[in-house]
Amino acid sequence: MLTRRTTLLLGAASLIALVAPRRAWAQDTTGFIVNLGNQLAAIVNSGGGYDDKKRRLAPLIEEAVDVDGIAQFCLGIYWRRATPAQQTEFRRLFHAVLLNNIGGKLGQFQGVTFRPTTTSQREGDSVVGTVIQRPNQQPNNVQWVVSTASDRPKIVDVQAEGVSLRLTQRNDYSAFLTRNNNNVDALLSAMRQQAGA
Amino acid sequence: MRLRHVLLLAALSLSACGGRPAAGGADDLAQADQVNDPLEGTNRFLYRVNDGLDTYVLRPVAVGYRNVVPGAVRRPIRNVLNNLSSPVVFANDVLQGKPRRAGDTMMRFLINSTAGGAGLFDVATDWGYPRHGTDLGVTLALWGVGDGPFLFLPVLGPSNVRDAGGFAGDTAFNPLTYATFGGSTAVNVGRFVIGAIDARERLIEPIDDVKRTALDPYATFRSAYGQNRRSTIEDTRNDRRATVPAWFNR
Repeated sequence: MLTRRTTLLLGAASLIALVAPRRAWAQDTTGFIVNLGNQLAAIVNSGGGYDDKKRRLAPLIEEAVDVDGIAQFCLGIYWRRATPAQQTEFRRLFHAVLLNNIGGKLGQFQGVTFRPTTTSQREGDSVVGTVIQRPNQQPNNVQWVVSTASDRPKIVDVQAEGVSLRLTQRNDYSAFLTRNNNNVDALLSAMRQQAGA
Repeated sequence: MRLRHVLLLAALSLSACGGRPAAGGADDLAQADQVNDPLEGTNRFLYRVNDGLDTYVLRPVAVGYRNVVPGAVRRPIRNVLNNLSSPVVFANDVLQGKPRRAGDTMMRFLINSTAGGAGLFDVATDWGYPRHGTDLGVTLALWGVGDGPFLFLPVLGPSNVRDAGGFAGDTAFNPLTYATFGGSTAVNVGRFVIGAIDARERLIEPIDDVKRTALDPYATFRSAYGQNRRSTIEDTRNDRRATVPAWFNR
């Protein structure tokens, strides 16, 4: 009798030990994404012009997104083939291009609402599911892959309707490089044009 | 008809066995895995043809549609198109062995065709029967048919051998394809044209984004299409909801 009760207690305790921290990270990463969404909405709906909005967007992205990690992922096998100077330049341009790309989409975020659905874990990262609703459009499922490896959460990927943005970007770069004799400098000069620098 | 079906399936499964380019390291393999495009030269040519058609005809028409027809009218139009596709979706739900999804589709068709005013309003969603789309491409994938080589088709856009075959099969299966209204095909042509405009209208921003930001838009569309289809197929495979609806268990 006693042993059964002890076993039950132990079982309950270990269940709580398993569940409690999971709840905590789920709330943390979901809160992180919701908070980020609200900050984005504040910028989108503010009165300033495009340049002003982009200036305020930059620190938000640098804070919330693991841009360096994504950059390295996107260069794929070419990362190791690139010289250190090329790597540094690629990273610098990647930051600028990403900011331009997100900045260019700000207009589309007008009137957008989103709500978090489920949060799960996948290969060590947290995946926060959201449903994004644009006016007069069908809702879209967007998942935010958040790494909690460092002390603060960072977005490492965004997946819209199953399409991973970092994987798509990597395929774009690799297709470009394949058609340009695997020349990383050709990629850098194309990115320089995109960055407008 | 049955023979043709078997032949089509055989061709599809053969094409699914197409080889992959040789690769070096694990990373190479991962990247090569994303691309099965032996017809790349032809596909890129068709992409350029479609891009011209899209720039000068399809996109302007879609933008005009959005600007002229208010959202309150576009939405019922989309609902009617969705409702008309229900029989094909239902058949595929059944072929996929997904009774709950088939039930959802049937209830949606019954509810929206009546209470929804001939499909104009999607009341079924609020009544607990949410919409899902599916097609023969997904069905074939669940039966184990591989993607086959990537295809870029004018107007229809990115596809692959399996999904293009699926599209043909769905069209052939749809009773509306053979319906004539007073001997005229105008209704069917209209359904296809409005469907295409509606689909293009929904994609105005995503396609603009890719063309604006990608260094190789063709490769980007190819990648995004493959990922989206794989995700759709896996979501369908993993939908194992019980056949008994939630209200029955209360």
